[in-house]
Amino acid sequence: METTLARTGGYTNAFTSPDWTAYFQTLPSSALEIALLFEADRMANSLFDHLEVETERTVILSEREGNENEPQFLLGEAVQQAAFKQHPYRNEVLGSTQDLLSLTRDDLYGHYRNYYQPSNALLCLAGSFDIDEALSLINKHFEPIENSEPVRSIPIPENEITSAQRVELDGPGETDYIQIAWRSPKASDPDFFAYSLIESILSGPSTLNMFGSGGIGNRSSRLYRELVEKQVAASVYGSLSASIDPGIYTLYITCRGDHTPDEVIYRIDQVIDTFLNETPSIEEMIIALKQARANFAYGSDNITNQAFWLGYAQSFADYSWFTDYVNRLENVSREDIIRVARQYLDPAHRVTGIYRNRNGAANGS
Amino acid sequence: MVLKSLNTAALPGADTIFRKSYPNGSTFLAYPNPTSPAVYFRGYLPVGSISDPDGKNGLSSFLAAMLSTGTHQHEFNQLHTLIESCGASISISSGSLSTIFSGQCLKEDLPLILGLLLEMLSQPSFPQEHFARLQQQLATIFKIQSQDPQEMASQAFDRLYYRGHPYAHPEIGYPQTVSTINLEDLRAFHADFLGPKGLVIAVAGGMDVEKTADLFEQIFSNWDAPIQQIQADLPDWQPHREPIREHIAIPEKSQSDLIIGTSAPAGMSDEYQICALGNSILGQFGMMGRIGESVRERSGLAYFAGSTLEVGIGPSCWKVIAGVNPDNLEKALGKIREELKRFINELVTQAELSDVKQQALGQLPISLESNAGIVRFLLSLQRYELSLDYLRELPDILESVTAQDILTCAQKYWDLESLVITSAGRPL
Repeated sequence: METTLARTGGYTNAFTSPDWTAYFQTLPSSALEIALLFEADRMANSLFDHLEVETERTVILSEREGNENEPQFLLGEAVQQAAFKQHPYRNEVLGSTQDLLSLTRDDLYGHYRNYYQPSNALLCLAGSFDIDEALSLINKHFEPIENSEPVRSIPIPENEITSAQRVELDGPGETDYIQIAWRSPKASDPDFFAYSLIESILSGPSTLNMFGSGGIGNRSSRLYRELVEKQVAASVYGSLSASIDPGIYTLYITCRGDHTPDEVIYRIDQVIDTFLNETPSIEEMIIALKQARANFAYGSDNITNQAFWLGYAQSFADYSWFTDYVNRLENVSREDIIRVARQYLDPAHRVTGIYRNRNGAANGS
Repeated sequence: MVLKSLNTAALPGADTIFRKSYPNGSTFLAYPNPTSPAVYFRGYLPVGSISDPDGKNGLSSFLAAMLSTGTHQHEFNQLHTLIESCGASISISSGSLSTIFSGQCLKEDLPLILGLLLEMLSQPSFPQEHFARLQQQLATIFKIQSQDPQEMASQAFDRLYYRGHPYAHPEIGYPQTVSTINLEDLRAFHADFLGPKGLVIAVAGGMDVEKTADLFEQIFSNWDAPIQQIQADLPDWQPHREPIREHIAIPEKSQSDLIIGTSAPAGMSDEYQICALGNSILGQFGMMGRIGESVRERSGLAYFAGSTLEVGIGPSCWKVIAGVNPDNLEKALGKIREELKRFINELVTQAELSDVKQQALGQLPISLESNAGIVRFLLSLQRYELSLDYLRELPDILESVTAQDILTCAQKYWDLESLVITSAGRPL
């Protein structure tokens, strides 16, 4: 499959989010049928050969080992677990080392047979093709696949982090890191749009574009100005995930050697406290909206992103979430911002994670 | 077949690419993408870390960072509020040979953003407080890098492979050299080297090309830097004739990174195109080529294992890279050596050659599907002095490559008795 696709000059890959698994192919439009043929074949006829499973197991363990080299990965995994008590969002997508070692071929095949069904699949196309011809090809390759409804357990959403939690790790290195996570609404919640603007004002607009369309800096954001400009931390940025169930908004901070993590957290608390007590200025709202409009334009710049966005939005709402995104943001009021911020950015309902380097003297800790 | 269906006339060429040079030594390239509401730009000034004075490694990189900290017209906050308020970005960094800038904005904001870019490049204010902050941030980056096996293996490779050449040094410098850099060094380096001579900027997106060319002329053609020096030519360099192996020990790391390298042809030369097809067979095609097939697919030794052929001016290298469990380091190295031996002893098959030729041609339109992709191509044309019709000519160049050409190049560049091998991770 890889070889045939590569011959076209196209590329393919797969990725898994907490909510879905996606396979994508970007290839010349003249080769569309190759992509459809392969995806239909993948859905119905994958073998899960025992030997291949064992090889892939070590490959994925290797991927995990590469991630474990990064303190931010280890801290993120700990914060994620603390932010959800029972919802599967608490699990790192890649799986724990223990799980990766114990999964059997039959576990994998059972999961595959259950979930890889036409009724549980969404196909998105973007690019230069004739719609009727494309539909005809889709019918040709996918209609013969026998369908059965997947048996699934529906997770119970966790609408709040019930208490203030703190997780601390230590490890090699000479740098401390902080991650702070608050609950965020599910992406289909109207308050998600207000939350997006909150993120933009506090930590800068993060892009949800999966296929590198660049981003916008955050040097004018409130937290950058308080932490980096005042030389309290080396960097700060935020990330808001769009998910089916309530997720998390996370701040990532790289500490400097001359301020302890607790000093940094104190400054963050001050910024958040001010935010909760003062309506954002009209100018801040205008800027956040313009940034969202720009990010949307950059994200629509390439066809891989266009197809991704159609599918991503459909996974938690419908594709109009994507096409109406900028309009929905324009309808957010300053009062909405304060209301949503007060509901979610509560210091009593968050997870604070700290990674302390073992050469602690360097960070004054 | 894609090969036959590729419409080369539809690719960017002399009749659709706009290029103009100006008396002050600057050059502007543009290509329209009318459906895009945005514009992406990227360019360079011909000064990089090879011009760092002895003992001041990292000066060019530090200067590039300082260019974003304020201008004589706009202090830091004003500058970044202006840029970010319109959802735009401008970033500036330094490579070995060039100071590189890039950014994007909505098309209506291009006049503002290009004006600010010129301000940042030509009139930095060098604020003391930001100088101190950047020094501290660099100290943090050095600490983070020292714990990153991939970065450490790469720095060790460059140090050993390019020994005696400016490319041996990391562009960012070293803790001990960056700590000696002061504001006067930065001001002097800026006055000596930054100016319009050799400036190249390429843009792609929804802008009107003619109007944007006028805008570029209006903004950049008046930039005058009479004492601007021309960067010195690269010194001669000879590849190694003996094997070198070094491991950087970083305790408690779960994965080790491995680099095996040899010399490579000049960027975008005819020989480069032959090696690029060979490299695709060796470590890229499908799931990382033959090396991926051997190390990842058949042996399960690595999440990534493939090869890269660097493209650049001056000496360059051809590398195999892999990330492996520390216990599997030698085993992976053995598998890679087997594949390299095969690569220099056997002709690639006709099927392999046909595959990578088709892939290279099929990639052409895909690589141009975004504004950033178009701009990267425009800059390559300028940097490697290629014909504006290069893409239209490339299919014939690729078609003419034979399996014997690849074997000849493989044998010329992959001397298995003089490989440079570096790794970093858990102590051996």
